[in-house]
Amino acid sequence: MTQRRVAVTGAGVISPLGCTLEDFHRALCDARPGIRRLGPEIVQGSGVQVGALTDWKPAALLAEGEAANLDRATQFALGAAAQAVAASGLDIARAPERVGVYWGTGLGGAHTLETAYKQIYAAGQWRTRPLTVVMAMNNAAGSNVAVRHGLRGPFANYATACSSSAMALGEAMRTIQAGRADAIVAGGSEALLTPATLAAWQALRTLAPADAGNAAASCKPFDRRRNGLVLGEGAAAFVLEDYSRAAARGAPILAVLTGYGNSCDAVHISRPDRDGQVRAMREALAESTLAPHAIGYINAHGTATAVGDVVEAEAINAVFGEAAAQVPVSSTKSLHGHLLGSAGALEFAAALLPLLRGWLPPTGFLEDPDPACKLRHVPLRAERVDPPSAVMSNSFAFGGSNVVLIAQRA
Amino acid sequence: MDTLARIKDLASKEFSLDAQALDPGAPLDKLGIDSLSFIEFMFKVEEEFGVSVSDEDLKGIRTLGDLERHIAAALTAAGKA
Repeated sequence: MTQRRVAVTGAGVISPLGCTLEDFHRALCDARPGIRRLGPEIVQGSGVQVGALTDWKPAALLAEGEAANLDRATQFALGAAAQAVAASGLDIARAPERVGVYWGTGLGGAHTLETAYKQIYAAGQWRTRPLTVVMAMNNAAGSNVAVRHGLRGPFANYATACSSSAMALGEAMRTIQAGRADAIVAGGSEALLTPATLAAWQALRTLAPADAGNAAASCKPFDRRRNGLVLGEGAAAFVLEDYSRAAARGAPILAVLTGYGNSCDAVHISRPDRDGQVRAMREALAESTLAPHAIGYINAHGTATAVGDVVEAEAINAVFGEAAAQVPVSSTKSLHGHLLGSAGALEFAAALLPLLRGWLPPTGFLEDPDPACKLRHVPLRAERVDPPSAVMSNSFAFGGSNVVLIAQRA
Repeated sequence: MDTLARIKDLASKEFSLDAQALDPGAPLDKLGIDSLSFIEFMFKVEEEFGVSVSDEDLKGIRTLGDLERHIAAALTAAGKA
């Protein structure tokens, strides 16, 4: 029996570049940045200057009392998942035990925890909200997606920092391939732009300061002037579905998820490792039975740190060899910031742009490419191309977790 | 506003229910209020009235009417009624 193929039949996005897949793709085509100077109420004493906030209006989806009982990361998750489910037209009620949720998030309910700690330590009020635990727990976002849509199939929640949601997609693919679910709502969400979380990140010395001339241009992956990442918030969700069932019900098939590479560097807790990244990319290519030159676009992890971008460029060159000169690569983090646990899912949505519409999303503000990052860049502006047959999305995390996804045209 | 009206007002906001239609004699689960939601609601009720309801007393509260009686008794005991 041949392995089941996995179709992407719905997508939803809540991001600093817009709160639908269409708006997100339009912003990428226009190279419209979502990064801006953060207000004093968020920055407080952290010293962080810029971030990528999402213009989220919960009232469209949640009653007032309901929103107050859900962490911001969960609200994003519900928003993205509702879009994905609606777009897929999936009839969940037919067999809810055959539809699962695989989710990814880095910190979980950061806003909830910070509110509770602030009350306790800053105000000396030890009486905390009874919902604090169930709002803050790492699986709250995914579990609420399951509750809202009545998804009773397999459930998993991944917390592998910046590869969390890419891993959720990859493992969801495996679960469908293995016949353990017919469809899975897979994605990730993150909402951690809180003063204390920002202070912790600032202490790591990896965050970019505001660009002196233009705060929106503070994140410059692969550029000689790059000086760090910019944190963002949001969510992305997909309905992944057994291809034959999706085709039989006439579902809109956006793409086919054909490759998933997963490796661990196992050398350092934060420093990226070329060989680990190489292994993940090769595994995803091998599973897709694709030669490197068949990849028509790579959405790089590209965080704009001094070391990270060089290591990833070296890894891509090691895997792609001569084809590296032709394969377009961009880091859309330049525009939407680094969404950490939801980055992999959001960037998978970015990687669908060339497949669906024939536009290569750009690396914003890439004016002076670093010779140490020798790649075929898509600098500054989106490029019109014939839709490629396959795209790759890289997610490389603190902890050494590397996840690579490959999607192909339906 | 009397105690019951204030409780109904809080409940209508917390659970997105119509305050006028809230039956103080109806079991909480019939109003769609589960035990976790009720604990969170009690947190807000205690804040509103500045009293606390013991875990033991909490177990006996099955309706908004029961809640009103406990709050009224707590207010009297605290000299706030």
